[in-house]
Amino acid sequence: MMKRPCFRRGVRGQAGGPTHGIDDTPMSVARLRRRRSDAHPNGALAQICGIIGTWFVPLGTWSKHLGWVDAFAGLLRKGRGPSLRPDISQNRRTRSGAVVAESLTKRFGSVLAVDDLSFSLSPGTITGFLGPNGAGKTTTLRMLLGLAAPTGGRSFVLGRPYADLDLPALSVGAVLEATDFHPGRSGRDHLRALGRAVGIPDSRADEVLRTVELQAAGRRRVKGYSLGMRQRLGLAGALLGDPELLVLDEPANGLDPEGVRWLRDFLRAFASEGRTVLISSHVLAEVAQTVDQVLIINRGRLVVESPLQELTTRVGGTVRVRTPQPERLCEALGSADLDVTRADHTLIVRAAGTEMVGEIAFAAGIPLHELVAEGSSLEDIFLELTAEASP
Amino acid sequence: MIAQVNAELLKVRSTRTTLGLVLGMIGLTVLIVLLTGLLTHPDGLTTKDDQLSLFATGGVALIFSSLAGVLLITSEYRYATIRPTFLFTPRRSQVLSAKLVAGLLAGLVFGAAAVGLALGIGSLILSARGIRSSLDGGEIALLVGGGLAGIALRGAFGVGLGAIIRNQVGAVIGLLAWDFVVNGLLFGLAPLVGRFMPTTAADALMGLKTKHLLPPATGGVVLVGWTLTLALAGLALTKRRDVP
Repeated sequence: MMKRPCFRRGVRGQAGGPTHGIDDTPMSVARLRRRRSDAHPNGALAQICGIIGTWFVPLGTWSKHLGWVDAFAGLLRKGRGPSLRPDISQNRRTRSGAVVAESLTKRFGSVLAVDDLSFSLSPGTITGFLGPNGAGKTTTLRMLLGLAAPTGGRSFVLGRPYADLDLPALSVGAVLEATDFHPGRSGRDHLRALGRAVGIPDSRADEVLRTVELQAAGRRRVKGYSLGMRQRLGLAGALLGDPELLVLDEPANGLDPEGVRWLRDFLRAFASEGRTVLISSHVLAEVAQTVDQVLIINRGRLVVESPLQELTTRVGGTVRVRTPQPERLCEALGSADLDVTRADHTLIVRAAGTEMVGEIAFAAGIPLHELVAEGSSLEDIFLELTAEASP
Repeated sequence: MIAQVNAELLKVRSTRTTLGLVLGMIGLTVLIVLLTGLLTHPDGLTTKDDQLSLFATGGVALIFSSLAGVLLITSEYRYATIRPTFLFTPRRSQVLSAKLVAGLLAGLVFGAAAVGLALGIGSLILSARGIRSSLDGGEIALLVGGGLAGIALRGAFGVGLGAIIRNQVGAVIGLLAWDFVVNGLLFGLAPLVGRFMPTTAADALMGLKTKHLLPPATGGVVLVGWTLTLALAGLALTKRRDVP
């Protein structure tokens, strides 16, 4: 594990909180953030009337119907989905924690995709959201991000339900799929169109293209991009609003080793500014070097929520030791209650550290020719944990 | 909201799909005007009805603007760009309203091109062949104004349809089947019902004199009604349904 800078855990503030200390905050985005509090949930309709009135006068009457359309749709909606009206109960609907899930449940027909899932992520951490394919990771993320309505339970992002955030793109960046692009549109136009919707200037699109090292391909159509380039373009979209929370679904898919390295360094730098990251993956090794804590789910249920350090300790490592006196060492380790497997002159000791094995050998006066800590068996425990509930 | 409409218009402009539709529409309009204008015997181009149907060739834009509207929303679902779109603007009604406005504006451009071309080329042909125009200013104004309004409305109509049928192929087939099969059959077999169909209502709005057509104003109201109904249903469904 890399040592992380200690300011890492500094809390950067909740939604709409102070953004100072982030040197690369573009001016325009910072200005938008300040303006966020003035956002007028009902201004939209007035603006539609305005724009139609300006563009095409006879349609002005039609635009009035839009207000009616919306009111009517509101009645049909039965409280689901985002609302145009200010939510007076909002004060009660807040939570601390960068991302909070409370008994989130999603049922598709007879399939319970997400089952009573609860967790809370502190700001300034990198969390790996792990589980085998089909465990419910993406469904959970879709509910967190307001794309899917939960069958039960609630979720909060930066203290509020995602859909209740004003201009969420300025505080949350998310990528759900690396393929969410129109193949005939250039990467730059994709970013410009996203940015325009929330008032982010085109220049910011060029900035994030540079950040993800795609500036050369920005004006080319996405259909010519490799999967790795698409992953980076997706990330660029998430970074447009200079967010304080990043949610990435399987970001390392399709990246070459160099790309994985780049992503890891990028996420570290991002989190070192006190920002929060939630990344999902079905491969633990992919994120093991990046994350502080893991959430492991399987078949829609939370299996483990723990700091990575704790999980590693709990699992313990495997030590490989070579000695000219394997029988004696086997005995010595066995009397220390360690699990030993012998193959000729080499012993494999499970759930132990090199220090412990070395000291036992020293105490027994057994010479060692090799003493190696094998790669942690995190992958094993992951498989074990996620296989448990399988039929 | 203006920002959202701008974003939608940029999406419309930034792929070649729209350009392809516009070029296809222009090609078809020019072809039909030329064929009708040049191949018809002069006696078949003298009455008001004859000249109206020559100039109304721009009405082919009705199907093209509807297609543009359908693609405006279904391509977002097809390529899943709807996800980033809704992540940036979780108020789905705002996104859909912006798309409806973008559909209207795109339809207006389609309409201006097609109606203008049909009228311009048609008039040139008539004067070149020495046929006197028998249409008065009011009729021309109705043809142009009604044509523009109808074609623009059909853009928003397409957006509404696409919001209901999110599958792109399904929505396009649905639109073509509705316009060319259902609409045609109904108007042919039961004109009193068929004249309330969206395409025939748009024809009426242009001031065409085909038998059984509604009066222009009524046609306009009917078309607005269809557009609103689809927009409403699309809005309600968009808010209700999970985004894939």
